[in-house]
Amino acid sequence: MNIIETHDLCKQYGNTLRVAHLDLDVPEGSIYGFLGPNGAGKSTTLKMILGLVRPTAGNIKVLGKKMDGANRLSILRQVGSLIESPSYYGHLTGEENLRIVQTLRGVPEKNIREVLQIVRLDGQRGKKVAHYSLGMKQRLGLAAALLGYPKLLILDEPTNGLDPAGIQEMRELICELPGRFGMTVVVSSHLLSEIDQMADHVAIIREGELVFQDTLEALHGRSRHHLALRTINNPVARAILQEKSVSCREEEGYLILPILTDELAAQLTRLLAERRLGVIRLEERQRSLEDIFLELTGKAASL
Amino acid sequence: MKLLKLEFFKCRRRKILLVCAAVLAAELLWIVSSFLRQDAEDLIQGWMLMLYDLAMVDAIILPISVATIASRNCELEHKGTTLKLLETMATPGRLYGAKLTWGALVLAVLLIVRWALFMGVGILWQFPGEVPWERFGLFTLISWAVSMMVYAMQQGLSLRFQNQAAALVCGISGSFLGILSLLFPPALTRCVPWGYYGLLSLVGMNWDPDTRFTWFYWKWPASTDLVLLCLWAALFLLVGRALFVRKEV
Repeated sequence: MNIIETHDLCKQYGNTLRVAHLDLDVPEGSIYGFLGPNGAGKSTTLKMILGLVRPTAGNIKVLGKKMDGANRLSILRQVGSLIESPSYYGHLTGEENLRIVQTLRGVPEKNIREVLQIVRLDGQRGKKVAHYSLGMKQRLGLAAALLGYPKLLILDEPTNGLDPAGIQEMRELICELPGRFGMTVVVSSHLLSEIDQMADHVAIIREGELVFQDTLEALHGRSRHHLALRTINNPVARAILQEKSVSCREEEGYLILPILTDELAAQLTRLLAERRLGVIRLEERQRSLEDIFLELTGKAASL
Repeated sequence: MKLLKLEFFKCRRRKILLVCAAVLAAELLWIVSSFLRQDAEDLIQGWMLMLYDLAMVDAIILPISVATIASRNCELEHKGTTLKLLETMATPGRLYGAKLTWGALVLAVLLIVRWALFMGVGILWQFPGEVPWERFGLFTLISWAVSMMVYAMQQGLSLRFQNQAAALVCGISGSFLGILSLLFPPALTRCVPWGYYGLLSLVGMNWDPDTRFTWFYWKWPASTDLVLLCLWAALFLLVGRALFVRKEV
């Protein structure tokens, strides 16, 4: 079952379509990575799912119910969120901040202590949030999102601005949530490596359009192996390969071929030698996830 | 009710009491220093003089005070970008209503304390005549109603603009225009929201240029002015609320 489904979701600002005909399917119990370069429309999409931004067109189903103005808040009782930067009252303590969320959510008071322990902030609960570091504020934001132990957790760039230790800590926290509390986590990021380490399902968005949506395994499956061949005369070599029905394309001075059996590879090199074509390089290559991301988004893997 | 309680909770350490105390202190200083300059003959109409002066002082002090109180309450939502969290748990309309009710209660308490304070001043000064409990009560109610109209405008501005300078400049301008508008013809004064502090005063003043004698008299606010006050308040409330509710966070 999908915990979130969007169909033909669009958001237009002025004449620009920032989110274009998005069909997302978030499987229940997954960590769903929502990946895209900055400005691709990730935050806008997540805000539309939470009802904070009105879609121009399309519809959204959360927990099997179609979201509209009437049932938005009742659905969101089972959804925790941390959108962009953490929300907090700097003049109040961490515990007082959580008390506000606890009162509004109508959840037991004991949850405050529990979530503070989960995000490892119990030692800082009496300190004013204005005096927290950015990492502590992010963890407080996560604690607020976890307070009602929601079925669905939506985290928008939760590691933004954190130092490497903070990123590692936040990542560990997120990864243990589905197993420990049975939550589905949607986590957005512009960092491929981050999603690669956390998610089991991935959606990639580019300029508001969905360019990939599947399991992380399927994304890795795209990073297939190939052979790169360089000879002293590539056009002639290409003609010879075509004679032998081996498909190839030229890329940066190399002929790119599919993976061949050892026997066929040996046969081809022998043939090239017989035709007096010197083989300069024959390499086995694998496309990295970064290459795939670049191909899908047209941008570098971390922007 | 839950949201209203939370407004009070959120305003902890926001020094709202200090702002209210400063308002009362400023008004008290102003009025007492004015009385100290009067001779015994002028104070025969002490109660009327007090209410007349208070309406003028209100026109100067309350616009900026109301702007400050509204800003203290609304600014905290901008500072911590909390609306995107709150609006996943409550509707924007209810949040707006809770903030407005919080302002109404704070201003009510402030003006009730002021009522007690100035009644005490009048009694201690031993102004002649009967103690005008009811008139002073009505004056307090009118001050509250005008302040609420101004509060509705200020809340709208404070929630609309992240930078509170816009709301505070409006409050400062209100303090200036509030008193200045009392020099305008009444039709023009009615166009200035802050002018209603003086326009709805319960005491009128006459001045005889020949004898150079000033005397005060009780008066009732014109029903037209009360209706206009309600219309201004409704306008500020509806526009401010609509802008807040429509705003995407």
